[in-house]
Amino acid sequence: MVTVAVLILFAVAILVPIAFMLISSVKHPLDVFEFPFRWIPRRLHFYNYLQAVAGNDQKYYFFRNTFNSLFMAGSIMCLNVLMASAAGYGLTKFRFKGRQVVFVLILTTMMIPFETIMIPLLMLTIRLRIQDTYMGLIFPIMLTAFAVFLMRQSILTVPDDYIDSARIDGAGELRIFFRIIFPSVRPTAVTLAILVFREAWDNLIWPLIVVQSEKYKTLPLYIIRFLDEKYTNEAALMAVAVLATIPMFVLFFTFSRYFIGEGILTGAKG
Amino acid sequence: MGIRRRQYWGWIFVLPAVLFFALFSYFPMISSFVASFHAKDILSLKAPKFIGLQNYIYIFTSQDFLNSIKATLIFAVGCFIPLVSVSLVIATIVVSLRRFPKIQNVFKMIYYSPAIVSGVVSATIWLLIFDPRGLANQFINFLANNPTPVDFKWLALPAMARLSTIIIYFWKYVGYFVIIYFAGLVSIPTSLYEVAEIDGASAWKKFWRITIPLLMPTIEFVLIVAFVQCVRTFSIQYVFVQSGSPREAINVVSLNIYTTALQYHSLGRATAMSVSLFCFILIFTVVQLRIYRSERVSYV
Repeated sequence: MVTVAVLILFAVAILVPIAFMLISSVKHPLDVFEFPFRWIPRRLHFYNYLQAVAGNDQKYYFFRNTFNSLFMAGSIMCLNVLMASAAGYGLTKFRFKGRQVVFVLILTTMMIPFETIMIPLLMLTIRLRIQDTYMGLIFPIMLTAFAVFLMRQSILTVPDDYIDSARIDGAGELRIFFRIIFPSVRPTAVTLAILVFREAWDNLIWPLIVVQSEKYKTLPLYIIRFLDEKYTNEAALMAVAVLATIPMFVLFFTFSRYFIGEGILTGAKG
Repeated sequence: MGIRRRQYWGWIFVLPAVLFFALFSYFPMISSFVASFHAKDILSLKAPKFIGLQNYIYIFTSQDFLNSIKATLIFAVGCFIPLVSVSLVIATIVVSLRRFPKIQNVFKMIYYSPAIVSGVVSATIWLLIFDPRGLANQFINFLANNPTPVDFKWLALPAMARLSTIIIYFWKYVGYFVIIYFAGLVSIPTSLYEVAEIDGASAWKKFWRITIPLLMPTIEFVLIVAFVQCVRTFSIQYVFVQSGSPREAINVVSLNIYTTALQYHSLGRATAMSVSLFCFILIFTVVQLRIYRSERVSYV
């Protein structure tokens, strides 16, 4: 079975850097670059983790920055799914003037890469006086055209009869949205939520330009700062890397079918 | 409930999204376009001065931006080709293990796992691997059986810095495309392969005559997503430059926009670069969509 050997070899190659991160994070700083590299550490050194969360300045910004990352990614996730579902509902189950135009205009923004508008976005957040705040971190990236598209496609499949009978029973529009539409598209909403959370968690470029003060920085910025300080020890650096990856791995193992399941032909962004 | 009332509710549901895209997509896009014809220092309070096409003339005649285009293209093509081809081969093999769905899942999860690691973390791990004392040198020297270890300067030589960023990107995203190909491959009916086997078709022939044509919609999607994603790369290059790699070799367009705006404070030039990047990606998407749509094959 040559082909299976290929798969195994490839799997090992993919796992090596992750194993390197995990192992180096518990090595003594002097052993990270030992020759030859030992995959089983000679001595365990968990002190790295203390240094990782304390930071080189001993100010423990790690916790604040982790909270910021969770708060930012969580808020963006909720706002994105809510706004995208609402828009998807409005675009599919109501016939109002300009509906098609609105849909096309929203879809067109898929062709605008974030990198091409980030500088004007920064100028806008400065003008709105929300730069270097949670609002500045969250609002400008809380929705994507892809999300609207995905939710619209999903809501299209909800039968009109459900909605009509609820209306006859006297349910209000908001009630219909939360009690009928939302539950029927839950799998798509969960898929979207995970995708959005991960992208926000991974996002470097927007927090990098919009945030200056330590108390609003996110984890990627914490790592960058850790990396910039030349006296950082590499084992502690890997400990930070592990800590920053744990939440995503928990999400991955809990919801793995949403990550690698079939029918997930979802768009991604660099 | 009247039609008029329902129209009104439709607008209410759509309104948040409409406001969002107007304020955070269209307005910045338009102001990017407008700013690209003006001279303006980001920090100064002076009103922007209209200078016509001068920003564009400047960036397209300066070595700096032309070099960025080159760096971006080298990176994008260098990533794109291995990404879309290796992931297809791997996905085909994984799909062939049809009888062992548990094993398929394990492989899929392993291949996908680097996509979970954030861009900054990936770059950080690999910085240590590419360190002169790191694993990369040790491994190559071991393979080559070098009597005296050679330092390949993964981070220091311009060409090697390019290669290193490509390796990281490939590592991070290959599994993502394996998953997408896999989803496309399992939707091809197995009966087609069975019929081909009865006719005595070789594995090679089955791959080119059945798999590729039927997978075309997935392949199109992967090609577009992969290329555009590669062109937009930022994190890895940022981390590399930040930790001392030669900027010129990996100064991709998005990194250049960032530096031009936030370190040189030149709003006009940064937005001129942004508009150029936008046009490039736009042309590419449109052209590619058109090429591939004409060759679409259907066996139904």
